Amino acid sequence: MNRRGFVKTATFAAAAPLAHAPFAAAQSRTATKVLDFQTLADVAKAEQEGEVVYYGHDGEAGIGVLLDSFKKDFPKIKTSYVRLQTGALYAKITAERSAGRFGVDVLQLSDISPAIDFQKKGGWEVHVSPELTAYKAEHQSAPAGHYTWGGVSFAGISYNRVKVKPEQAPKTWKDILNPAFKDGVSAKLATSGMQHAQWYVLRKLYGNDFWQEFAKQRPKGFDARAQLFDRLSKGDDRMCVLAEYAGYTLFAEKGAEIEFVAPPDGLPATAFFIGVVNRAPHPEAAKLFVDWALAKRGQAVYQNQKILLYGSLRTDAPPMPTGKRLADFKLLFPTDWNDYVASHPVFVKEWNSIMGL
Amino acid sequence: MSLSAVRYLQRARSWRPGPRLVSVLVGGGAAVLVLYPIAYLLQASLSVGDPQARPPEAYGLANFADLPRYSHIFGNTLLVAGVATVLAIVFGFVMGWILSRTNVPGRAAFEQLMALPYYVTPLMGALAWALIGSPASGFVNQLWRALGGDGHLVDINTPWGIAWVMALFEGAVAFVMIGAVMKSMDPALEEASQVLGAGRLRTMLRVTLPLVLPGVLGAAVFVFAEMLGSFSAALVLGLPSRFYVVTTAMYQLVSQYPPRFPTAAAMGVSLFAVMFAMVWVYRRIVSAGSYATITGKAFRPRVMDVGRLRWSLLGVPVLTIVYASFQRLTTVFPRVDNFTLANYATALSLDAVRSALWNSLLLGFATASLGVVLMGFLAWLIYRSRLPGAGLIEYVLMFPQAVPRLVFAFGMLWAWLVFPIPIYGTLWLLLIAYLTVFLPLGLRTISGVILQIDRSLEESAQMCGATWGHRLRTVTMPLLKPGLVAAWLLLFIASVRELGASILLMGPKSKVITPAIVESWFSTSSELTAALALLQTLAVAAALAIMFAVARRAVQAGGE
Repeated sequence: MNRRGFVKTATFAAAAPLAHAPFAAAQSRTATKVLDFQTLADVAKAEQEGEVVYYGHDGEAGIGVLLDSFKKDFPKIKTSYVRLQTGALYAKITAERSAGRFGVDVLQLSDISPAIDFQKKGGWEVHVSPELTAYKAEHQSAPAGHYTWGGVSFAGISYNRVKVKPEQAPKTWKDILNPAFKDGVSAKLATSGMQHAQWYVLRKLYGNDFWQEFAKQRPKGFDARAQLFDRLSKGDDRMCVLAEYAGYTLFAEKGAEIEFVAPPDGLPATAFFIGVVNRAPHPEAAKLFVDWALAKRGQAVYQNQKILLYGSLRTDAPPMPTGKRLADFKLLFPTDWNDYVASHPVFVKEWNSIMGL
Repeated sequence: MSLSAVRYLQRARSWRPGPRLVSVLVGGGAAVLVLYPIAYLLQASLSVGDPQARPPEAYGLANFADLPRYSHIFGNTLLVAGVATVLAIVFGFVMGWILSRTNVPGRAAFEQLMALPYYVTPLMGALAWALIGSPASGFVNQLWRALGGDGHLVDINTPWGIAWVMALFEGAVAFVMIGAVMKSMDPALEEASQVLGAGRLRTMLRVTLPLVLPGVLGAAVFVFAEMLGSFSAALVLGLPSRFYVVTTAMYQLVSQYPPRFPTAAAMGVSLFAVMFAMVWVYRRIVSAGSYATITGKAFRPRVMDVGRLRWSLLGVPVLTIVYASFQRLTTVFPRVDNFTLANYATALSLDAVRSALWNSLLLGFATASLGVVLMGFLAWLIYRSRLPGAGLIEYVLMFPQAVPRLVFAFGMLWAWLVFPIPIYGTLWLLLIAYLTVFLPLGLRTISGVILQIDRSLEESAQMCGATWGHRLRTVTMPLLKPGLVAAWLLLFIASVRELGASILLMGPKSKVITPAIVESWFSTSSELTAALALLQTLAVAAALAIMFAVARRAVQAGGE
């Protein structure tokens, strides 16, 4: 079953009845042009609401840049946010909703599993943004309007040029098993959606034993890419096996002696998922924000700000600041989303064990 | 109107809440503050259905049965907490002895330096030591290799390194406690020992140590509790060596999807058992008559003493942080092109600094001000009121000390989410959380002073016909003033530094600074984190300086 098939099957019964009314309402409103993008939101009402509350997973600085950019375009709308890792963030919002507290307008998650779970729970407001016409169907929820793939991050291998001799430099994914790197390898912890994606796609490529072999390297696990590259740049680790391109460019620009390797088999990739939250306290502002985020203006922030650097999935997206487009990389996405979501508990158990937790 | 009705009205008019009623209300209220979230925590630890379901779908003991899987983490926790406690106690005892029993030159400067860790967040200490002692990039090791050495000279990413940092930055309370006991001890016995021919060292080991032993043990129990809940040092220094303690493991468990709240709660509750036993020992020590060792007076002389010297005596770790905050990529060998002001520019542009710092200072002020009133009354209630069950109240109020704040925060999150008054997501919730988690700290600080006030003073006032309220206002409170001021300062600083409870309870409009600093360490760089930590420390210093200036002026004005 492909992703769309899975999502349709899994969510149709739960989401469709809940989605029907707002969906119909959303469709009855005509899209209007604001600045250079289309929105279904009533902008006057959104400005009257005066606020948008955003829950996201990116770092404080990244969220700050994003919200400040929105505020520049819509100065009458204040922004506030909560930032947590996706797992903790999702736990917080579900705990709040189960207690009858609905204080969130826009939710952005870095893992598809909670995004689908939230859809099953009727957590997303169905808002079919006019900007979705620029997105392929496979990058939207099924049915469309719950959440959308707002941008893509992908990871290769990175190593410290001072600590790793050129002849030892990794070139393929199998090179991360080289015993010469033992005790000098880093990756992310099981909290990371990207780490799950990498674990999944490389397991499919190289078999279930691949990561067990990797465990012999005694890898060190961290929460965020900034920590991985901070340590790699300073030589605390010699190689990072979940080297997100965005992190690499940020630290390479600082002058770090690090190298990025794109193995020929491909680069594990994952998206972030954004949508309007059901029963949002500022529904029009929320719609306006999501339309803006999916439009060229918002996508430019996600893609060009180096603290974020998510590749845009818009079909008309320009190249990234590095001059490369997503299409220039061989990206590895899970092909069977049903299997991918089901594999999450297995991943968490195995990865915790690999990381010594 | 009948005579009985007139009498009733007269009685009603002259009615004042008696000590019993007020005590029951305040003591009961404080107990509810503590027990309400604990009930939710216990409930979560027994949840065996969907880990995200609230309320739980089914109950059982499976989470506790699963805990042996994490025995290595419990072992790690006990190891670093034990080593850090021993280090803190030995260090506290030796320094306390030197500073209170010898005439070593520069004692005043040493005392100032010893108090420095109070004013910085433990994360800053951990970060500083990571920059100093990491095997590859640590400054000491870079210098070592530059001088021709091989490998590394020191490795801070070991259990011993973690315990060292914990002892330095979170165990300073041991020095304060033990030092105060020594200062309040009658020196006649030591003088007698020396007159009889014993040397200084022999006198210290054979006379001083036995005399302060109850105090040392009391401090050890208190510090051990602090160390079990320690988070920052283990987070910064433990992850690079795959070394987890209970708090860092719980943080990971609840950050994963789906969050494993029940397992984390079971871990926390199991720590209850350890800490409950420790608190029981602690109370045994206190009730054995050695209460002076845990006195609030212990905190008084040093924390009140905020002179210029403290801020000029910056230790190596603080200087390291200052240096790192001006670097693009920190290295021990300075390069002109590596210096930057960008970290401060970014830090000052972040919402974390713009609003969270202000919120932190505001909360610190409110927690400290309300806290001294609440905790002062509770201390009086427990030690002076003779109310039945006062001892039990003390036990209950010590609970927050017996469990890591990160765990306690889950209980508070669930408890206050369903509370009918909408305080969730506001600064009010954080204020309640801080007042709850700092009950043991405030209580310990103030109760020590209460225990040193002779009961006969209050009894004299009573004999003269003063009501209990009048006695409290005119006798007890003025005598308690120094202890209350000390408690205010401790609560203020502890609130601004608070991390564990704040992480989960912050809302979009109720952000505080320390979680933002930790988050910065996760998602940006050590250099930006260093800048943020320094800004926090400077803000606390400025706030305290202003408050001291205002207080001094008020005192001078009152004296004229």
